[in-house]
Amino acid sequence: MCIILWNIFKIILHIIFLYSIYRIGDWIQNAFDLIIPGSVIGMIILFVLLSTDLIKVVWIEEGSKFVVNNLVLFFIPATVGLINYLDFFAGRGFLLVLIVLFCTVLVIASSGATSQWIMYRKEKQHD
Amino acid sequence: MINLIIGFVAIAATCSIYFLAKLLHQKLKLTFTVPVVTSTFIVIILLLIFKIPYETFMIGGQWIKELQGPAVVALAYPLYKQRDVLKKHLTPILLGSCVGVAVGISAGILLAKAAGFEDEIILSLTTKSVTMPVAVAIVETLGGVTSLAAVFVLVAGFGGVFFSSMVYKLFRINDDIAKSVGLGSGSHAIGIAKALESSLREGSISTIAMIVCAVTVSIIAPWLVQLLLY
Repeated sequence: MCIILWNIFKIILHIIFLYSIYRIGDWIQNAFDLIIPGSVIGMIILFVLLSTDLIKVVWIEEGSKFVVNNLVLFFIPATVGLINYLDFFAGRGFLLVLIVLFCTVLVIASSGATSQWIMYRKEKQHD
Repeated sequence: MINLIIGFVAIAATCSIYFLAKLLHQKLKLTFTVPVVTSTFIVIILLLIFKIPYETFMIGGQWIKELQGPAVVALAYPLYKQRDVLKKHLTPILLGSCVGVAVGISAGILLAKAAGFEDEIILSLTTKSVTMPVAVAIVETLGGVTSLAAVFVLVAGFGGVFFSSMVYKLFRINDDIAKSVGLGSGSHAIGIAKALESSLREGSISTIAMIVCAVTVSIIAPWLVQLLLY
């Protein structure tokens, strides 16, 4: 029982830590009037701090694992917002679904083909 | 006081529905039973049945939404864990993701513009291939509709996984790393799940591609929007 409570406490503590980094990222975005979202800036900051060993991975590990494993929970409020657009997607909006599908095929094909081409060139250089 | 109760009920209900949906998915393991789809579906049905407006639900929902920020920050953790794979395949992953991102955003903006959609809607379309937390954040910054963006992200996720094998056959993409980069770039977390079915290595390459795309999109989407939309 005690161990479970301690784990929950650790997860909450880690999430508070992640939240503070997010706030710093947000502050940087506003202060320098950047177009990159504060949360992405926060992610880059955390990655750099982890890579340079300024933050130990154990300080954020449990909380990060929990958040990443349950990532979609935090986006249910956003997806439920679809409720206000049900009519839109039943009509003209359906065209957008087709556009998204078509673009996704383009993305997969172009990114896959590009990285395959680079790998192929690399192998040739090694030979 | 009444708002406090509504908020509490909304949060408790959303969390329980989500964790039940997760259990269900662990049992069934079908692409279409991923928790985000089943729980969104159940919440929407409940709101419709009890005639609860979205705004009322959001009294509690906004608190869950507040955690989107730290959720994005937490993505640094899997990226850090996979840093050796990232170093080893840096160029193919980086360039592949960037090309995919540029093609995807440009095609999306141009097609939607040609179809005559409003700017606000076109903006929501730019982040479709990015993982949902980042997509919602970028669209918020750009001034689009976040709920639409969330839906487009889901469509891209499922569509990409559904069409990927066909696309790879058609364009003769047979390298495992290239395939994983494609899935991560086009279909974010749902693509990763598909890549993970092949191997752990392919899953981690997709994860890296997804995060690289998220960062690239947040940097170049505003530029492409300026260039192509206005």
